[in-house]
Amino acid sequence: MSEILKHIGVLVGGLGVTVELSLLGFVGAAVLGIALTIMRVSPVTPLRAFGTLYVEVFRNIPLLVFLFLFVFGLPDAGISFPLFTSEAICLAMYFAAFACEAMRGGINAVPVGQAEAARALGMTFTQSLRLIILPQAFRTMVQPLANVLIGIVLGSSLGAAVGVSELTGRVQILELQYDEPLPTVGLAALGYVVITLTIALVAGRVQKRMAVRR
Amino acid sequence: MNALNNGTRAAGRNRILAAGLVAVVAAGLSACGSSGSSLPPAGGSSAGKGKPSALTQAQVVAAAPVAAASAITPGSWMDQIKKRGYLRVGGTDSGPLFSQKNPVSGQLEGFDAGLSQMLARYITGKPATKLSLTTVDTRETMLQNGTVDAVFATYTITPQRAQKVDFAGPYFESGDAIMVKSSNSSIKSVADLNGKTVATEGNSTAALDIKKFAPKAKVLLFQEDGECVAAVKQGRADAYVLDQGILLGDAVSDTSLKVVGQPFTQEPYGIGVPKGSAAKKFVDTWLQKIYADGEWAKLWKATIGTKIAGNPPAVPKIGSADGS
Repeated sequence: MSEILKHIGVLVGGLGVTVELSLLGFVGAAVLGIALTIMRVSPVTPLRAFGTLYVEVFRNIPLLVFLFLFVFGLPDAGISFPLFTSEAICLAMYFAAFACEAMRGGINAVPVGQAEAARALGMTFTQSLRLIILPQAFRTMVQPLANVLIGIVLGSSLGAAVGVSELTGRVQILELQYDEPLPTVGLAALGYVVITLTIALVAGRVQKRMAVRR
Repeated sequence: MNALNNGTRAAGRNRILAAGLVAVVAAGLSACGSSGSSLPPAGGSSAGKGKPSALTQAQVVAAAPVAAASAITPGSWMDQIKKRGYLRVGGTDSGPLFSQKNPVSGQLEGFDAGLSQMLARYITGKPATKLSLTTVDTRETMLQNGTVDAVFATYTITPQRAQKVDFAGPYFESGDAIMVKSSNSSIKSVADLNGKTVATEGNSTAALDIKKFAPKAKVLLFQEDGECVAAVKQGRADAYVLDQGILLGDAVSDTSLKVVGQPFTQEPYGIGVPKGSAAKKFVDTWLQKIYADGEWAKLWKATIGTKIAGNPPAVPKIGSADGS
């Protein structure tokens, strides 16, 4: 145990990589998710079909399988990214499907009457989305989006399987060296819990701040 | 449906969507099938192919010795196994040449698998084993808490591990070697790995050896042999370091790869057994027996020998490794 504590810097560094991956993944997933959500709620059938297809494809394959296809399949087609970039892209693409559903859920929670009223006032689709629907929808999205972020943090540990040296990957090396799986895995678990609890706490705060008395 | 549109044709559209999805997935799968070079070849099953005189693993095991009843002390480790009727083995089902499940027959094939069947036969009279999958993290624990009787898992004997479990053997001498693309001429020895990207399996001690012998190398950890091979072929890694036997197996089946130099470490493999039991002495005696009567060499021929040309290496000396 004391030997492992000597390497705590290595683990903290791994935690840093995990946070970095998660943030990149979340930003990517949010941007892509917004685009997908707009497609899925738009009145244009081909766009809606594409959005639905994307969500259903990514929601129905395991992240590990997608990572493997991306990391080992794409180079055969001549496209190769560094491993860290690959994982960040995978996390963004994969969790965009979940982010899209979280956002769409928020939009659907806004009563239909609101959209109808906006249309009755002569607003366009974009106007009603921007001025009426989204401001109200965002409140209900906070917790589901925090869940997506937590999913990204925990999902980033799969990077250990494709050579990304994040928290779990570094734990593997320490385990090899000291044959002490319990303390190393325990420390890693602690690291993940610290990140995810922070996310839950921040999400709670944000939600409280945005709450509106109806 | 959402607030912004009032469509009600959900059911019909979903059915079309599902059909489309199936087509997409099927296309994806077939694409993988044609390019599936990262999968390891099914090893060990082709015993005797092209060499009609060689015995198969099953034949070698069937001819293996059985212990005299007097050797099984009542109440001992081996007595418990004999009463149970089968040996509980800790190992893997995805290790080419050593312990890999044949997807067709469902049998475990390889050197470790064969040895475990021979030990089961030695104790119980029949090659009955029950495999529990172990990993580098769980091997010692599973022996300590009695989940398995013995671990056959290309298990390198180290003094550190020997504090927790007993090692019988060594039964095989291996060492880390280097595999590169055939076209690579810049890596000839372990010192050349400095500054290069080197792939290895995440659950192998090879990762530590790379850090020790080439401290400036960048280590990439993957889960399985096939992924490390793919990493080298796709140029993600300059070299792949692992036990020589496994690398030779890979290079034999793929001419775009080659193994360079001689092993730069000694990896004595031992059979892990519970610490402080009668098992270590009993298994060592059995190993001596199969070394002396040539059963060990026959098993090597039937498993590793199907991928590597030449005669079996000299048998390792029992107790020669630090920790055995």
